[in-house]
Amino acid sequence: MNRHARAHAVSRRRFLRGAGVAVALPLMPSLLRGAEAVKPLTTGATTASGAPLRMAFMSIPNGVQQDHWFPKEDFTLNSTMQPLDGLKSQFQVIGGLDHEHATAGRDGAGDHARAGATFLTGARARKTAGSDIHVGISVDQVAAQKVGRATRFPSLELSADLVRNSGSCDSGYACAYQYNLAWSSATTPVSPEPNPRLVFERLFGSGDRAERGQNFAQRQETERSILDFVLEETGDVQRKLGAHDRRKFDEYLSVVREMEQRLQAAEKFTKLPETTADTPVGIPPDFGEHMAIMYDMLHLAFQTDSTRIGTILLAYDGSNRTFPGIGVPEGHHYLTHNQRNPELNQKVAAIDKYYIACLAKFLEKMAKTEDIDGQSLLHNSMIVYGGAIADGNRHSHDNLPVILAGHAGGAFKPGRFMKATSQPMSNLFVTMLNQMGVETNAFGDSTGRLEGV
Amino acid sequence: MQLPSLVRLAWGYLVLGLGWWCAGSVTVAQAEDNTYPAQVEPLLKKYCYDCHGGGEKEGNLTLDHFTSDAARQQDRALWWKVLKNVRAGVMPPADQPRPSSEELATLTQWIKQDVFRTDPNNPDPGRLVVRRLNRSEYDNTIDDLLGTRFDATILFPPDDSGYGFDNVGDALSFSPLLMEKYLRAAQTIVEQTVPTETWVKPYFEFNGRDFRGANEQTNGGRLPGKKAATVRRTIEIEEPGIYDVNVLVKLHGSFDFDPARYTVVFSIDGQEQTRNEYGWDEAKPQRYQFTPEWASGKHELVFELTPVPMAEGEKLEGVDRGSTDVSFEVNHVRIEGPRGTERRIHPRNYGQFFTREEPPADAAERREYAREILHKFAMRAFRTSVDRPTIDRLVDLAESQYQKSGQTFEKGIAHALIAVLASPRFLFRLEALGASQQDGAFAEVNEIALASRLSYFLWSTMPDDELFRLAEAGELRKQLPQQIKRMLKHDRGNEFVRNFVGQWLRTRDVTQVSIDPIVVLGHQEEYERLREEFRDLRRKPLSRKLSPEDEAVRKRFGEFRAIYDRFNDDMKRSMRRETEMFVEYVVDEDRSLLDLLDSDYTFVNEKLAGLYDIPNVRGGEMRRVKLPDGSPRGGVLTQASMLLVTSNPTRTSPVKRGLFVLDNILGLPSPPAPAGVPDLEESAKRFEGREPSQRELLAAHRDSPLCSSCHARMDPLGFALENFNALGMWREKEHDQAIDASGVLITGEKFQDIRELKKILRERHAAEFYRCVTEKMLTYALGRGLEDTDEHTIDLIVQRLEENDGKFSALLEGVIESAPFQKYRLPVATPTVNTTQEGSSP
Repeated sequence: MNRHARAHAVSRRRFLRGAGVAVALPLMPSLLRGAEAVKPLTTGATTASGAPLRMAFMSIPNGVQQDHWFPKEDFTLNSTMQPLDGLKSQFQVIGGLDHEHATAGRDGAGDHARAGATFLTGARARKTAGSDIHVGISVDQVAAQKVGRATRFPSLELSADLVRNSGSCDSGYACAYQYNLAWSSATTPVSPEPNPRLVFERLFGSGDRAERGQNFAQRQETERSILDFVLEETGDVQRKLGAHDRRKFDEYLSVVREMEQRLQAAEKFTKLPETTADTPVGIPPDFGEHMAIMYDMLHLAFQTDSTRIGTILLAYDGSNRTFPGIGVPEGHHYLTHNQRNPELNQKVAAIDKYYIACLAKFLEKMAKTEDIDGQSLLHNSMIVYGGAIADGNRHSHDNLPVILAGHAGGAFKPGRFMKATSQPMSNLFVTMLNQMGVETNAFGDSTGRLEGV
Repeated sequence: MQLPSLVRLAWGYLVLGLGWWCAGSVTVAQAEDNTYPAQVEPLLKKYCYDCHGGGEKEGNLTLDHFTSDAARQQDRALWWKVLKNVRAGVMPPADQPRPSSEELATLTQWIKQDVFRTDPNNPDPGRLVVRRLNRSEYDNTIDDLLGTRFDATILFPPDDSGYGFDNVGDALSFSPLLMEKYLRAAQTIVEQTVPTETWVKPYFEFNGRDFRGANEQTNGGRLPGKKAATVRRTIEIEEPGIYDVNVLVKLHGSFDFDPARYTVVFSIDGQEQTRNEYGWDEAKPQRYQFTPEWASGKHELVFELTPVPMAEGEKLEGVDRGSTDVSFEVNHVRIEGPRGTERRIHPRNYGQFFTREEPPADAAERREYAREILHKFAMRAFRTSVDRPTIDRLVDLAESQYQKSGQTFEKGIAHALIAVLASPRFLFRLEALGASQQDGAFAEVNEIALASRLSYFLWSTMPDDELFRLAEAGELRKQLPQQIKRMLKHDRGNEFVRNFVGQWLRTRDVTQVSIDPIVVLGHQEEYERLREEFRDLRRKPLSRKLSPEDEAVRKRFGEFRAIYDRFNDDMKRSMRRETEMFVEYVVDEDRSLLDLLDSDYTFVNEKLAGLYDIPNVRGGEMRRVKLPDGSPRGGVLTQASMLLVTSNPTRTSPVKRGLFVLDNILGLPSPPAPAGVPDLEESAKRFEGREPSQRELLAAHRDSPLCSSCHARMDPLGFALENFNALGMWREKEHDQAIDASGVLITGEKFQDIRELKKILRERHAAEFYRCVTEKMLTYALGRGLEDTDEHTIDLIVQRLEENDGKFSALLEGVIESAPFQKYRLPVATPTVNTTQEGSSP
């Protein structure tokens, strides 16, 4: 590494250090409450001790190299998960979960788009190139709509993938299926933010550290009056549209309504959380750094209790990204379809491990950050890492790669390889939703709860 | 439901004109209700039922299962599929007897008439599409409305595309995040452009381009960090005194990190004010303030950039592959003063928003003035007339602000302008609401809306003053041909090629494709080995003289670096420009679209010509060249842009290339795909452990009936392009095996190589190509996926193309004059509007 690249890395490190440790008081609203007395909140999304309970989901593309992924029965980790070795007591690997709706069924080609759409929805994506997009609400959004009001942002949708191909996406599926993990309704994807600077400014305000609070207050006031105007205008347009196809506009209207509610809810958050961290410069050129900094953003958001629900699209399914830094000049997707070749097979495993190493850093940081009840942030979290394709070569969708990290405040029992009997991945989501305080016995294609996690 | 007989007569008339495949079908067209049993069913029996009738259900499709005429006619999706497959020559299969052109016409006509219920005299224009502005439309519209450049690609999340285009209304979703961003953007844009005071101290303001270098091209707007440059600006002041000089510069870098550093010295009248070292960054702002004391007369401000020299080893490390860069921008320089002066002037842009010298003092007059300003602005911003309630709301907003103590009138207006930019009428294209002429079930869009449709189609932005003026005068439809010509010639016409061609032929993606030239050219192993050796070499003290072996390593490593340098962003941009300029040429010269399939010319500069083995092209400027005899190039299929975007990072992909041709050139319908990806392990075994060639591997696919339906269509097209490697360079061999580019199309034609394939496409598949391009352009123009009701419109345009030798103008005018572009379907009246949806007033 040369002089300048080094200087660059140092500044990045400095930022990361700032982000990780030094969050200035006053901390989060819940922390203040916590200072008085730790008592269970009625809003849900809390642990048994009354601390915030967080849920997060990260998606990896193209399945995994199976021979290197699953641990032994006694939880001895396989090669892909070596970077997680020091965290073994904090996560569990779950086997036996399936996504039936990611299979071809009668829909034919387009497995990657379908997998991306199914991962958090447990629903079958309608095969359309755009006119009638339909899949299902995603698990994070169910939680956000039920318990998201507890925090300034109901949920945070992030992405580390900037690649967008022009033209058609996977085999007749609209691109929305591939590039979005979160769906606020069956027809409305929630676009993720790839730029860490913009995430940071949403969380902590824009401008220099001193200006942030003032900018925030000013903007909130402006936005409130503008939004009133927008709502009236929207009503007018709605009337004019009459019986014309109003689907798109209804989608818009519900967004404006939600914005209004959010602003009202935000009145109780009159002050921005503060952090000593500097605003990130922008999108790091290196993919690993980009993932790392998006993980950092989620960590910051959790730490300051700005939200309790997050998703990170690490890379869209079907991603053909190259990893020259670890000796893989070939594209990921291309490699997964050439697994007869042992050499290429090793490269797929190397990519899987690369993704895991980034996850490990995030989990370590979560494990080292203390929450209001004295436990770690990770302890008070439920973090799912995986994808809706099991084997990237054959495109199977049963026995999916799933890691569940965190104790959910003590409710979960990590530190083992949990082999579930074959059942829908959605069962895990039902369990997690219940844990979040969402009373439901069904989600997506669930057949019940996944017990014993 | 019966069609009136008049309509049926009209059908006969129309069908007469529909080209070769309709010849002799007049009697058919006039036939009465027994068309199906008398004419159509016998055809289906003859050509289809062997596989799709009498209990056979090949591909899970039957045609004879209907219990009534009504049921048969209601399954529009099925007959649409039949129509597409039969017309494309995909069905019946190549080895089966095929219907004659008359028979095909009979079937086509029955489907359009009895199933789709198309009235040829008044075709269904389709539903009204509500479209959000996408990122480039937003940027362009803001630029035209306010004269300021906004970069939505950084701030807004990417737009999802549908049907291959990012302007398809149904796919352009809306989320709270996006709304937040629109609110934020509106505030930022207004803060940057709208004055908030009536009078300010005298000032000078400059942007980067106002600082000029030694030659015409050099200016402070963008100075590359690896090249020394000096830019300067002289001002002349009258009043002597202390001036406040505020400098805002921005540091930029390519997407990928670049280690280069540079120093910039800023001086006033030859005196150094500040000296800074900068490097790679993402639009990072840096602010400086100075307070020089000036005598009246001329003063000079100078930025001098000097690259920081880099050690040889750092360059070769591989971090800098030549495709990255750093640059410096003089963003804004403001000079105000002198301090204590009594003189006052209007702030920047004042006249653009405010028509009077000063806002009136009287409250009622103020309100009236506010109304004037806001009405004028909102009309342009909404691209249509504005209702009184909306104006009232805007005036109220402005007033609520400027009546606050300490607030100016201008601040109030600025506040209301933020609201305009956040309004759904700005963010969505709703111009068409409010029809001019109703024609039964359909309405013609009014001229203002037509102006908007035209400008977003051809310019990706709002209409200009001329379009607005014509539309308001009701003259636009009359002057349509002249206006189309004018619009294409206009600078903004580039947007059409950039966005339409950029997505149709995927030229937008070329610069972001990562292909590793070292691997593609077969040097990977040597490169990996050398990299190790070179690393060792760098650990040796620099002073020591290198051994001949070391010297050889160093030299060879330098050669590899040259390979990376060759395939840098410059090369990729040239590739993109080739395809763009090629289409621009077809547009400007009104050439035949068939040039896109095969041509004897293309566009290159020295770099690209080198890639194509075209001699005697010097310099970086792209220009049209005639291709040497026997050159395989010519037409989009052999252009590097297409060849690159359809390759994998280390090798070609015949499947992706074949699919690209199917989807974007021939428009062949997608066949039924297998229910799951079959296991190819079995078929792989027959290669007995050796690495099979791509051709052998795909042959294995085609042996499986499950795969063959698709791969028999894609593979021959892809293999025909195998003579081009993943970088678009010609090759005769791969892994020491001669490349076999021959094949048979699913429609039966045999070819030896790409030259023959291009000839076959141009001579025998022009109709499919016309149809494909028409469908793509119509989708882009309408912002929606095509429906079965559009089949007739497409037929008309294809016919027009055939009658005009495929000229581009026939296509463009055909699209613009088509019913879906000019009209929209009125909604079927519904009982009552859901009132709960409206109760939105706070």
